Amino acid sequence: MTACPRENSGELAVFEQIMAQYERRVFRIALRLLNNPQDAQDAAQEVFLKLYKKLASLDETQGYEPWLFRVTVNVCRDIGRRRRRSVGIAEVADLVAPHPGAEHDAQRAEQREIVRRGLSRLGEKERAALVLRDVEGLSTREVASILGSSENTVRSQICSARLKLREFTGRLMMRRRS
Amino acid sequence: MSCAKFETDIALYAGDDLPAGKRSRIEAHLAACADCRALAEDLRTNQALLGDLRDEPIEESMVAQVRRRVMAKVSPAPRRPARLYWKLALAAALILVAVLVWPRRQVKPVRVAHVERHIAPPQIAPAAQVSIRPVRHRIIRRRPRTPASPPGPPLLVQFVTENPNIVIYWLVDQKQGD
Repeated sequence: MTACPRENSGELAVFEQIMAQYERRVFRIALRLLNNPQDAQDAAQEVFLKLYKKLASLDETQGYEPWLFRVTVNVCRDIGRRRRRSVGIAEVADLVAPHPGAEHDAQRAEQREIVRRGLSRLGEKERAALVLRDVEGLSTREVASILGSSENTVRSQICSARLKLREFTGRLMMRRRS
Repeated sequence: MSCAKFETDIALYAGDDLPAGKRSRIEAHLAACADCRALAEDLRTNQALLGDLRDEPIEESMVAQVRRRVMAKVSPAPRRPARLYWKLALAAALILVAVLVWPRRQVKPVRVAHVERHIAPPQIAPAAQVSIRPVRHRIIRRRPRTPASPPGPPLLVQFVTENPNIVIYWLVDQKQGD
């Protein structure tokens, strides 16, 4: 995909500013949804190229976040369907930068690893709802707006996802303890 | 588990997604049910672990790579060299066309043959009821043959018949060496 270059350097500066503000969150959401760093990079790139094309028509008073997250979820869904591949959790774990002094609690690190793995086992819609609600901390209403669903549907997806994740983590924890 | 009907609400309660009206009912049940308390505790632990994922630092090099790729596509490319190439190509094409067309537009001098032969009178059909004498011809314009001299204009030969209304003109090209 090639973007049409614009002469308006002011617009480019605004775009750079928005990108600097949201690039980590967009990349992180893509990483949690796709579970693959290269796919997450491709998704983030596509999202920001779409933003660049749409920038002039977006209402900045509404904020760019809902639009960016909606496009991120859609792009990740398309990429996920296109590639249909599942990457081991180790690959994603490698991507997390070393956190000096933060991994003293080995049990907590292990639990986080299990949750990450459990997240990748969820279905597409449930995973998107849970990532936006419980990882990104958006409200149910915001998640519903991003996913284009009703709040009740989102609540149902979140509820189901949490219970599946609990079942998965409980089973794995019990296996490791025994 | 006999409390299956509470599971959904407990999953929502753990993430503060339960409406206030239902919260007190769930809290009363949790106070009386150890299994559901364990479930709620597991769900809260997972909530905290999911929150940890949000706080995990992202590998900056991955994000920076995305930024570079996006900016490379949206930044206006330097156009001057491209325009210069087009101008040079256009000029070269015009020169080529001029070179190819120019010789064709030059008018070559007409070389006129020097005629010295007598031409037999034309045969006129008897049906024409015209009495014809042997045709006499005269050379209206004639140039002396000079091998080294440049070719002159075409040679005009006039044939006169007995009928004054019939005059035959013969325009002869002069061939080189004639």
